[in-house]
Amino acid sequence: MPQQPLLKIEDLTVSFPADRAAGPRAFAVQKVNLSIYPQQTLALVGESGCGKSVTALSILQLVATPPGRYEAGRIWWNPPNADTPRNLLALSEKQMCQVRGGQIAMVFQEPMTSLNPVYTIGEQIIEAVLLHQQVDRRRAVQIAVEALTDVGIAEPASRLSEYPHRLSGGMRQRVMIAMALACQPRLLLADEPTTALDVTIQAQILELLRDLQDRRRMAILLITHDLGVVAENADVVAVMYAGRIVEYGPVHAVFRNPLHPYTRGLFASMPLLGKRHGRLATIPGNVPNPADFPPGCPFHPRCPDVRGDPQCSTTDPPLLEVEPQHWVACWHAPNHTHGQPAPPDVSYRRPSPASTANHATA
Amino acid sequence: MSNVTSSSIPLTPQPAGPVAPTVRRTQPRSWLARVVLDTVGRAGAKVGLVWIATITFCAVFAPMLANSHPFLLKMDGRWSSPMLRHLTPTDVTLLVSFAAALTLWALKPLRFAHKAGALLGVATVTLGLSLLFVTPPKLAVLEQYRQAIEQGRVEWAVWAPVPYSPNDRQRDRFTPGRPHPWQPSREHPLGTERNGADILSRMIHASRNALAIGFIAEGLSLLIGVFIGGLMGYFAGPIDLFGMRLVEVFSSIPRIYLLLTFVAFFGRNLYLIMVIIGLTSWVGYALFTRAEFLRLRQQDFVQAAIACGLPLRSILFRHMLPNGMAPVLVNVSFGVASAILAESTLSFLGLGLVDEPSWGELLNQALSAGGGFHWWLATFPGLAIFLTVCAYNLIGESARDAIDPHLKRAPV
Repeated sequence: MPQQPLLKIEDLTVSFPADRAAGPRAFAVQKVNLSIYPQQTLALVGESGCGKSVTALSILQLVATPPGRYEAGRIWWNPPNADTPRNLLALSEKQMCQVRGGQIAMVFQEPMTSLNPVYTIGEQIIEAVLLHQQVDRRRAVQIAVEALTDVGIAEPASRLSEYPHRLSGGMRQRVMIAMALACQPRLLLADEPTTALDVTIQAQILELLRDLQDRRRMAILLITHDLGVVAENADVVAVMYAGRIVEYGPVHAVFRNPLHPYTRGLFASMPLLGKRHGRLATIPGNVPNPADFPPGCPFHPRCPDVRGDPQCSTTDPPLLEVEPQHWVACWHAPNHTHGQPAPPDVSYRRPSPASTANHATA
Repeated sequence: MSNVTSSSIPLTPQPAGPVAPTVRRTQPRSWLARVVLDTVGRAGAKVGLVWIATITFCAVFAPMLANSHPFLLKMDGRWSSPMLRHLTPTDVTLLVSFAAALTLWALKPLRFAHKAGALLGVATVTLGLSLLFVTPPKLAVLEQYRQAIEQGRVEWAVWAPVPYSPNDRQRDRFTPGRPHPWQPSREHPLGTERNGADILSRMIHASRNALAIGFIAEGLSLLIGVFIGGLMGYFAGPIDLFGMRLVEVFSSIPRIYLLLTFVAFFGRNLYLIMVIIGLTSWVGYALFTRAEFLRLRQQDFVQAAIACGLPLRSILFRHMLPNGMAPVLVNVSFGVASAILAESTLSFLGLGLVDEPSWGELLNQALSAGGGFHWWLATFPGLAIFLTVCAYNLIGESARDAIDPHLKRAPV
């Protein structure tokens, strides 16, 4: 069937004041393009400070303005029942309130602090349901119970009257997901949903997300820095560095053939089961401060492959389609000189969840 | 538009049959409820609450405790109840609200917010109805009962424990050689003031004003302070800048001088005094609330609430306010104490209420009457003020300890 992207980000640029409110501005996100198709999982990968969260927050206009500012870009939101796509960045606060939670929901990183400590989890879920769905209170309670059942919480009816401090971290993340999904959103923004949880719970939560995605037919924007999570869940991978997307493609292409040296660095720094290691490889240095990005390619001071290439230190490489369905922003990537400047757009979905997640790293 | 049925496939099958009753026993309680319980459990707060409860009892049952009108009277062969006949709308409202509060307290399943709302509703409705239908005689001649007794017309009567109304002035009675104020005696256990009114009776009735000043004035300043502070903290930026200037302006106004000026120009009015105390003491609450909101704004659950599409009203007042209220509430009890002191000071300076009983006004007479020092006029009202302020401070201290995480594990 002909597919329209559910969400299409065009040239999104977000800036913050570098030190003083009136001074020079730092660009946390710069000319980011990406698109998410219905029922697709797009993974946004990168180190801390790469602009992943700001990109996700921008979709819901959650970046605080001021100090932040949307410098440029459009975010086209095109749910299946809408006539024309709407630019989310142009919506008023009031219109955004209907999109938030109702059409696009968000799950945060820290489940321990993401629930309001003074209300029971039932009150919090029911408030969201009453806000977004035209139902009476009795039906809202039913929906809340169903939502808790869906995320695998035992005794959902009695759990409704529990306060958050009586639940464990994994339980609270389940509650957060239940709350996010209670209003049947089309897109779920999951900002590192498993980072604060221990490993066994991580696996449960990710499996839960996959399962719910299948049943609810929703898309997920998964923000993570864990490549294992990406390999098992994502359809499309966008690697971010210093506020830009540096590599973009279907998960298999990126894992089989990482083209950007930063992506290769990320893979090299991952431990592999069943293989003896010395020290793990690291990417030297840190993500540059957005207030003073180096001129040229922002990665060139840390780049292990090319040293002293004047092009790298003077000109920022554009994101080009170097192979079909595989974009990269690196002067030294094969075929970059003949790349196509099309905006990245991959509608690939893996056939069934958790099929062939082989860690084919470089 | 919910075209996807959510519960068609349960992920975890629910156990059939009765669930083993061993999982959870304790009642889940909110953080605020736990703080309140912790506060009330502390020794200082208990002492304070006992005294406040005493004052409240006196305030509510003042017409039954100290009244020149007898409960029951058989005079000239006819039964009557002058006390009930002379109840004012305020008396009726207080009594009905008190009864409603006790009833609601006994109703366990209701939530605190619902109880408070119901109580407020009952109080308002009662006040409205009693203003319409409770019409005590405008002129009450308190002397009539004493004259009737002397004339032997009273066959039978039940008197209040203190058989004097606060404005039952016996200065004009014929008492040769004994000008008022009188020392404490059998007839007047705490003595009389210079107009011959019974001090104990006046003190009992004055507890109303003391409570009202404390709660209404502080309630007003709490409302203003939390609202302005909340907006300042949530929006930050220019609103914060403007709000802070407003705070600076108001904190530079000396409260007592403002009170004196207003009372001098607009007359002595209890409500005016309350409003002025309220308008000048919100600054502290605003600063506390602002600091809390600045902190809460960054919290994940507030971000999550925004991401959920909740309207600003709900985020500010439902999600942020209850989380930031504890330190503000601690200060309320100190504020109530200081409002009572302010009113007492005003009355002591002779610019307080006219004709209404007030502790400060009694204190004032200790010195001003005839140049001498009347110890009973200084001691008993002074003690009442001291104990009340002390009680509020004790409760405030306990509340502060209850929310202080550093003291949480300290041995008591």
